[in-house]
Amino acid sequence: MQLTIIRRVSRILQNHNNLTAVYALVVIIVAAIGLISIAAGEITFEKDQLYPKTIDKSSPLNPYDRGGSPFEPAEIKAQYPENFPAIGYITGYLSPFATTLIKISPYFGTTIVAHPGGILDEILYATRGLDTIVETSILFIAFTTAMFLFRRDEE
Amino acid sequence: MTDTVCAEMCVPPTDMLYGSPYEFLETGIEGRALFNLPFGDIVNFLTPYTAVLFIFALTFTIIALISKPERQVDTVFGGDAYYTKDIPKDTLKFQRFMAIACGLATMGGIMAGDVFNFTLFTAFIGITNLGIVAAVKNKHILDNAFEYGLLAMVGTLPLFVGAALVLATTGTLSMWVLFNSAAAVPLFAKLLLVIGVIAEGMAPVFVAKAEITRAPGAPYILMVHVSSLLIFLRVIEIVISM
Amino acid sequence: MMTGIAFAAASAATAAETAVGSLTSVTFGEIELFGLSNFTIGLIGAIICIFISFYALMREKDDLHRLLLTDLIEVIALIAIALLGTDLAEALILPGLVVGVAELTAMSEIYIVKEKLVREPESYLDIEIMHTAPAIIAVGMLIYGIILSGFTGGAVAGLGMLFYFACKGTEEKTGILEKISGYAWVMWVVAFIVFMTLPAYWFFALMLAGTGILAKVAIKISILGTMRKNDGNGGRREIGGDGND
Repeated sequence: MQLTIIRRVSRILQNHNNLTAVYALVVIIVAAIGLISIAAGEITFEKDQLYPKTIDKSSPLNPYDRGGSPFEPAEIKAQYPENFPAIGYITGYLSPFATTLIKISPYFGTTIVAHPGGILDEILYATRGLDTIVETSILFIAFTTAMFLFRRDEE
Repeated sequence: MTDTVCAEMCVPPTDMLYGSPYEFLETGIEGRALFNLPFGDIVNFLTPYTAVLFIFALTFTIIALISKPERQVDTVFGGDAYYTKDIPKDTLKFQRFMAIACGLATMGGIMAGDVFNFTLFTAFIGITNLGIVAAVKNKHILDNAFEYGLLAMVGTLPLFVGAALVLATTGTLSMWVLFNSAAAVPLFAKLLLVIGVIAEGMAPVFVAKAEITRAPGAPYILMVHVSSLLIFLRVIEIVISM
Repeated sequence: MMTGIAFAAASAATAAETAVGSLTSVTFGEIELFGLSNFTIGLIGAIICIFISFYALMREKDDLHRLLLTDLIEVIALIAIALLGTDLAEALILPGLVVGVAELTAMSEIYIVKEKLVREPESYLDIEIMHTAPAIIAVGMLIYGIILSGFTGGAVAGLGMLFYFACKGTEEKTGILEKISGYAWVMWVVAFIVFMTLPAYWFFALMLAGTGILAKVAIKISILGTMRKNDGNGGRREIGGDGND
């Protein structure tokens, strides 16, 4: 039977197993548009970024040293610093444990930055704290769904 | 919770603290921001347009909260007999919880004043939708829920890449800056945001929807459609205004 | 340093973090290739990855393989964020990663239900390390996770507990664990409100947030370990005697 184009397309679209394939095709087309717009020079990197990264190789906190010291604020380039008057304090804070680690070895930068205090805690908890609220809520919902399905099958 | 924060934060020092940093914005679709609700770098707002969407989402959340679920009736063909499908109590509770979470996520997405925060709320809507439909114990519906879930997972790529491109090309994520200035957001980033929302919201996914809407459990299933329609209207506003 | 590397390999969260660290330090100098900035070069690379992975997704028909491919695709999104090379990008990676992990968890469970893979396996994996190692590894990772605090710490500590529960089995009621995790979440929300309304008390809020997220994430991940039903008279415990004593 001779199929018209519309019938052929709708035959593909009506099958829900083709859903991801169709969507993948759409993404590939958009990505191709992206390549063209890079070639056309439309996408340029803005040098003036928020929270820029500076690297001081001699610092024991490398690559996470952003200045400041415990209870002295560091200079932070936030979007709206006036919305969080205590800005910079969290970045500057180092717990006694972290200061001990610095004296032991210069290679504990990653451990120290995950310890309370530091630039990431400043962004994740304070200036962009709403992101973290949404993020943990997503985790909570996903686990609730998984546990619900799991428990129902147990019975 | 948000109301108390606003009462503390934005009433007294409006002029001296919050007047200068963000110039009041004109969105491309409808009017000026009615108020702002600052959370650090993320400053939420409502315009007349989004306020309408917000009230809509709120109404449907309350409906999901107070209403009893419908029971589908199957009639026996060729006779007078019929039987109603019973919804187990735990499924009902779970679906109601998911529907309310979905409503809250929709309200958050509508109020979002930051592109990355908006994408996170969209992902939130995607996962609550998935929860609502996955609770139904039916092979066809679970099949479709899986297909839709794959789409929702894949859809986070365009969303996050779009937000990252906005940040890279303009140096900011705040809509207060993006809507005002001449900072040009590339077409690529806008397209990515739109197709990301298409994947997360179920409204355009008609193939899966046709199966899923057969599932018992209205009005909770209804929340799936409401949320995806509202978030789609919101992303259109963002993309046009940017 | 060695422990750092070992834990980075164990925990997805820390792995992403160190990856970003090395990435930014590598691209810190300006590289000029055909007059393109290093951001543009990286973006072209990411788009090529998008082509490859989405083409694979288009051709693949098997459900399980498609599920694995979506996880691959999540990583490309993280790459695109990491290209920015700022501290903000590093902070944005964490939510991106969590969304991926969360959706994968829910989707795997849907896949199991959909394919009706609920029958218990007849024999579990039973090797010596599963009797001798769990306690020491769990304690080590728990302590290191508490030191790290926050989300990264939660992931590390949670993985340690997951390993313990998966090897030893448990009779704990997961409902109680979930309740604790709910209170931990409330702790974090309280901390956020303190940050926004009483910024002078930032130190108190910082500690509250760090502990809250640590407890929440650790419990959520360790619950996964209790989901494999090897308690009671599961095969492994009979073979291995009473476990760690």
